[in-house]
Amino acid sequence: MDFKFSEKEERLREEIRRFARVELAGRNTIAGMEEESSDEDWEFAMSMSRRLAQKGWLTMAWPKEYGGQGASFFEQHVYVDEASYWGIPGTSMGVSGIGWVGLSLMLFGSDEQKKKYIPLIASGDPDGVWCTAYSEPNAGSDFANIQTRAVKSGDEYILNGQKIWTSCAHRARWCWMAVRTDANVKKKQHGISLMIVDMKSPGITIKPILNYAGVHIFNEFFLDNVRVPVTNLVGTENRGWYHLMQSLAFERHSMAPQFFGSARRILEYIVKYVRETSYNGKPLASDPVIRNKIAERAIELDTLKLFGYEITWKMSRGVIPVYEAARNKAYCDFFMQRLATTGTEIIGAYSQVDMTSRWSRILGLITRLYLMFPGLSIAAGTDEVQKNIIGQFKLGLPRAY
Amino acid sequence: MDFELNEQQNMLKTMARDFLSRECTKVKVRELEKNEKGYDPDMWSKMVELGWLGLIFPEQYAGTGADFLDLVILMEEMGRNITPGPFFSTVALCAIPIMKFGNTQQKARYLTSIAEGKSIWTLAVAERSGGYESSDLNCVANYNGEDFIINGEKMFVPHAHVADYFLVVCNTGEGKTSNGGLSVFVVKAKSRGVKTEIIPTIAGDGQCRVRFKNVKVSKRDVLGKINNGRKVVDFIMQRAAVLKCAEVAGACQAVLEMTNVYAKERIQFDKPIGSFMVIQHKLVDMLTDVEGLQYLVYHAAWLLSTGAKADVQVSIAKAKANEVYQRACIDSIKIHGAIGFTIDHDLGCYFRRVKAAEFILGDTNLHLEKIASGLGL
Repeated sequence: MDFKFSEKEERLREEIRRFARVELAGRNTIAGMEEESSDEDWEFAMSMSRRLAQKGWLTMAWPKEYGGQGASFFEQHVYVDEASYWGIPGTSMGVSGIGWVGLSLMLFGSDEQKKKYIPLIASGDPDGVWCTAYSEPNAGSDFANIQTRAVKSGDEYILNGQKIWTSCAHRARWCWMAVRTDANVKKKQHGISLMIVDMKSPGITIKPILNYAGVHIFNEFFLDNVRVPVTNLVGTENRGWYHLMQSLAFERHSMAPQFFGSARRILEYIVKYVRETSYNGKPLASDPVIRNKIAERAIELDTLKLFGYEITWKMSRGVIPVYEAARNKAYCDFFMQRLATTGTEIIGAYSQVDMTSRWSRILGLITRLYLMFPGLSIAAGTDEVQKNIIGQFKLGLPRAY
Repeated sequence: MDFELNEQQNMLKTMARDFLSRECTKVKVRELEKNEKGYDPDMWSKMVELGWLGLIFPEQYAGTGADFLDLVILMEEMGRNITPGPFFSTVALCAIPIMKFGNTQQKARYLTSIAEGKSIWTLAVAERSGGYESSDLNCVANYNGEDFIINGEKMFVPHAHVADYFLVVCNTGEGKTSNGGLSVFVVKAKSRGVKTEIIPTIAGDGQCRVRFKNVKVSKRDVLGKINNGRKVVDFIMQRAAVLKCAEVAGACQAVLEMTNVYAKERIQFDKPIGSFMVIQHKLVDMLTDVEGLQYLVYHAAWLLSTGAKADVQVSIAKAKANEVYQRACIDSIKIHGAIGFTIDHDLGCYFRRVKAAEFILGDTNLHLEKIASGLGL
């Protein structure tokens, strides 16, 4: 049992801190899910992606042959945590490519696919930006219900159908897409395939869906006779569901260090705020209810930290963390909500002030988290879906749905 | 970073699990709740033979020189099984502070006697309030120029009725201050003026009221320095709290496993109840609670074992343990339904111990306050 980071890992943390202080000087950045919304933010994020790639951090844990550094999972953990703490834009490049496409291609992509796509992601170039299209109007939590059809015609598939909630589709160069290649199956999990779709293909229409804060993150995605070369099939035809289970574990695995980083920063701001702010003639910091709530959030933060360490440790031993990733995702959701609501209680009436207003408190961080957490808790699978996965895969319980 | 137990810890774990499941069945646990002594001397001497009492003492005091993390693993197993008796009070509450603050004679005499199973110990801190704040401690030890004379009353002293020695926390300073003026004395249980009486608790776990009336102790029997007792108490509250948390983490694992087995076996509406999402998600929440607790305990214990400052992490573990133990038991009883509410079911044995674990060594509010202070509030 040893919870110490190595000297090398600690040095990396210091280096990232120095980098963030210099590169982000004068900007109030916060770990971003919205950098794709405005052209200006996106441009800055992409410039940072390239800087991060030059530093060798962007995809550090990938093998050198794919543009990584062959860094350890724990070095990557430190990087993700620290980059999220500082809110360095561009660390996820629209999320998909860095989060799971690269890793999934390494596992079940063809040699040609590996050579073509992985180094592009690692370079931090706009041509390495991916979106992921799983959800459809009738396939949300019941994701195996997808109906977008891919019919083989010679050396191409012809795709027709509709995807929805596709984050970053308006910025992406490529799409990681789940489609139905066989409709005559007994179990709907069968007959699903994974494909790489060029976003410049004729027949693709992207329509923005603004979230309730007016931010453009996700999109409707229509496919009308879109032609995809058969060489863009990833893995085995009709086995996509099983490839996806692994992809989803990748998608969820880095959530703990990521949210830990930004939550760590938010909690620091909250502590500073209650020390400096008076209410009813007394410092907020002397209010026992507030002290208790902040202490409870600190317990949750530490729990999340250790869940993050545990999953990284397991991955470094070759485990594909299926239930652990689901647990960490569900725990992030739970903690995000608690942190956001505690934060709003502390800043009180100012929690409703627009984040960019001169009256906003704590850089608008709390208000932003408050607006974002319900959406984040649905993305990448709801709480309930995560708990079903844990029930089945860890506790060995019968399917509950 | 490494979450793995080492070879020695794994051996200890396996040995403890085998031994306890054999020697300390739930039938015995229930018997001991009714038994005057509250422990089984035969099982106790086997634990002595296994080297558990002196597990972390240096070899010169008849110990085996294992480290604190090994003891954490052992406590986890003891909690998992439920192991009634004065092990925790003797080792966690008394031997560990003696190792740290005892002088050479005290260590040689007391640690050796503990490791060899020749004496049972306990700690008397809390009084009428049941709490651990200095301001609530009124028991006094007045120096008459030759000896200290102890007067006062202590509550919730575990296993005092079978102990041979007490560590007693007394006021020795001028007036009461928040961090000065306390001293810790080694007091023989048989001393004149000591009266012990069992407090009937819902767990039947042998907690006592102990009254001291003009009890004479020599100044040689102070542990550490005079008027420096708060430091000793705080030290105990860290080390012993983590060990108590390990015990709770073990208990919670047992509750979870028991409930998970039941949810697969129990059929209602023609299906195992574990296939119903409401039940399944309760179990999953329990798993997340229990894993989180276990890692927080290991983390705090590891910090202590490296000698790092661990105040906040210890309090995080204790506050979490208090919450998780109670929630796991309540949810488990709900999932079991009426059977979980019966005297013959093992669950009740765990549930009835929740409050003892919660209020010993600091309740949730005390630890939340420590966390808040540690964060700079």
